[in-house]
Amino acid sequence: MKVLNFDSKQCERVRRQLDAYLSNELLVETTSEVLKHLESCEACSRELGSRQRVREALQKAATRQLPPDHLREAIHRRLRSTQPRMFSGFRATTWAVALASLALVMLAGQQWLGFERGRQLVASVLTLGVSDHLHCAIRGRNYPELANPPEQLGEKLGPQYAGLLPVVQEKLPGFQLLEAHICSVPGSPRRYVHFIARGQGTILSVILTKREGEFLPAGRLLVAGAPTGVNLYKAKLEATSVAGFETNEYFGFVVSDLGQDEMMQLAASLAPALRDALDGSAGTEKATPALLLASVSVDSNRGVE
Amino acid sequence: MPHLADLYRSASLLVQNSPEAEDLVQEVYLEAWKSFHRFEPGTNCRAWLFKILFHRLHHLRRRLIKTSKLEAFATPADEDNLMAEPPIPQEIQDDDILRALERVPLEFREVVLMADVEEFSYKEIAATLKIPLGTVMSRLSRARKLLRQELAEVAGLYGIGPSNERNREGNSA
Repeated sequence: MKVLNFDSKQCERVRRQLDAYLSNELLVETTSEVLKHLESCEACSRELGSRQRVREALQKAATRQLPPDHLREAIHRRLRSTQPRMFSGFRATTWAVALASLALVMLAGQQWLGFERGRQLVASVLTLGVSDHLHCAIRGRNYPELANPPEQLGEKLGPQYAGLLPVVQEKLPGFQLLEAHICSVPGSPRRYVHFIARGQGTILSVILTKREGEFLPAGRLLVAGAPTGVNLYKAKLEATSVAGFETNEYFGFVVSDLGQDEMMQLAASLAPALRDALDGSAGTEKATPALLLASVSVDSNRGVE
Repeated sequence: MPHLADLYRSASLLVQNSPEAEDLVQEVYLEAWKSFHRFEPGTNCRAWLFKILFHRLHHLRRRLIKTSKLEAFATPADEDNLMAEPPIPQEIQDDDILRALERVPLEFREVVLMADVEEFSYKEIAATLKIPLGTVMSRLSRARKLLRQELAEVAGLYGIGPSNERNREGNSA
């Protein structure tokens, strides 16, 4: 029996992408297209929900499969019994060196894994900023040719964020603030405070979004920089550069097609000012000792990493 | 013992027999000790151990097939790719999803476990199972679909599954 139960060609196309979407293997642009469709298609959203439920249920059930207590000892015993055969020509000290080497190698592997997961975490957070920039500013062109007056932008942002307008304008010398609003990317309930500016021959977005329990990792991903007290992270997706930072409650992103060094300079200037404006005194109390930079590489086959 | 819990979890879900899973995991560590000189520092230790796990698993399976104790990979008909999506229960019980997984043929089960439980990337799965990236994608898609179909059946949503019988028994008791 062959039943094609799709509403349209678009649904069919998106459903073919859902598996890669679930595995986080789509390019940022394709993810954005899928999210856009999901926002307007209840059937496909339900379908995604079903698939996510199955995936999460499998993960949860699989974690019940715990190794029995005796297995660790059984492995040690088996390794000990195999030792003479494996290293018949070796002295005991050589064997000890081999064991120690393996332990070190395993440890290095674990650390590498932690580092790799940290990289992926940074990539997934920075992707939020890139998605909103591409969706709203670049594809949607949601900005006027002539700048909206500041009082109109203040109204769009509302009392909670209107006070950020002068902060952003001051920290973007050479840029003209064209637009500011609250927006979202299709398919996600996350809200973005989005400032769009023009300058240096391009469009630049400053984007803020509330952290929802996520955080950016520190450790080896960070390299010490200037003493402004905010950690900065950067990534590049094809022509788009993003510099990100976090405050007590928000993630902030500066996104454009400028070079990464220019972006980091702008972010280094914007981040402490926005943190102080957003977190108030709490931000200054929790100031960290140094501006730290994290660099994330990009694999063109897998999007931002 | 690095990654013991991860390796045991996958082994037990792949061979569906605790003593065999324990043996398999022991073999993995034994092989790792023997061939640790081949491990490249700085590369992914967890992926390397999983590569050994699947190598051992496939070796075991080939041996069982040769001695006729086991049938070769069962491949569901292609047609099921075009079937309508099965209904998925709102609340999925652990036992139901595990029973559904048992019914998914091994070559699909191993891909869905690597992607959805162990969260390896497509590239890592391709390298571990020594199959092309496109095969990973198609097998994963197929595996998830089969899992959903088996789950719907196990959970009794087609009206013929064991849970349905269970429910009927519960109601009549």
